Amino acid sequence: MPDWRTLIAIGLLGLASYAMRAGGFLAADAIREGSIAARFLRLAPGNLFVAFVAAACLENGWPSVIGCICALATMAVTGKEWAALSVGCSAAALAAALLIR
Amino acid sequence: MPMAIISTDRPMFKPALTRVAFRRGFVAALPFIVSNGMAGVVMGVAYKGLGLGLAAAVLFSLVVYSATAQAVTLGMWTLSPPVAAMVVACIATNARYLVMGAHLHQLFGRLRRRVMLPIMFLLADASWVMTTADAERNGPDAGYLLGASVPMAIGWIAGTGLGYELPLKPGGPLAIAAALLPAAFVVTLLPTQWRGRKTVWPWGLSVTVALLISRLVGPNWAMLIGGGFGTAISMLRGDDA
Repeated sequence: MPDWRTLIAIGLLGLASYAMRAGGFLAADAIREGSIAARFLRLAPGNLFVAFVAAACLENGWPSVIGCICALATMAVTGKEWAALSVGCSAAALAAALLIR
Repeated sequence: MPMAIISTDRPMFKPALTRVAFRRGFVAALPFIVSNGMAGVVMGVAYKGLGLGLAAAVLFSLVVYSATAQAVTLGMWTLSPPVAAMVVACIATNARYLVMGAHLHQLFGRLRRRVMLPIMFLLADASWVMTTADAERNGPDAGYLLGASVPMAIGWIAGTGLGYELPLKPGGPLAIAAALLPAAFVVTLLPTQWRGRKTVWPWGLSVTVALLISRLVGPNWAMLIGGGFGTAISMLRGDDA
């Protein structure tokens, strides 16, 4: 059984984590239609997506870069997510195996 | 009067919560059982190394349910945990969920809060990405968000427990391939966000800033700040989605 200090820490961290998840949803009620914030949120997803991919590639190295390029190329050619994911992850695993050697 | 951020110049969908969408999201996110499971295994191994018990390790992943926040607070853990500092770190690393939550309000703001707030507990980067893309294809359905979130949570929580019991060495080719899955999934969604040549500069700036922030500050802030800069450029140019 975890001690009380561990439980308190986990509980507070869980509370903080959930506050962030639910906070944006609740706070959006206060954002006016047509406001800068509303437009920002409409434009944000694509920019966040590419930033997410770039950071992930930097963190995980060349195998991730190769995997993402292969996944994007496969998606562009086939339009099938499952094919893009399979090719991308296989390429990353192969690159990792070769680079680790 | 404050209003919800639903644009009037876009097609209006009535948000729903359906079993069909739940199933569609669940099936689409099944690969995340493996990728989140692998990441969870690494976290479980790390928690064991800290001297936490199995119950505490699993509880951590169940209650906090955030790889970035857990990784950051893991580095701060001592015999007498600095709880206040850890909470601040948790808020900082999870601040991106504020943007995601506000964006989801555009899609599901008309659903009852008592329905949406429990679902928000399982919100993850990848489930938000998938839900955003699915809403563009099929209309907003919170069933998809819930369905896509469940396999991710199962993988993460079960992986933590498994990692605690089975100490495995991370860093091998399979672990790297599994770690790529979230990014690869996002890559497959990029075509849905492409708006032609006007996308080039904002995306270029998003990538550049994300790389700089990831290198200089840390990967936790890269998506939020990088994407924020790119979005700001889009706004200054007068773009709209």
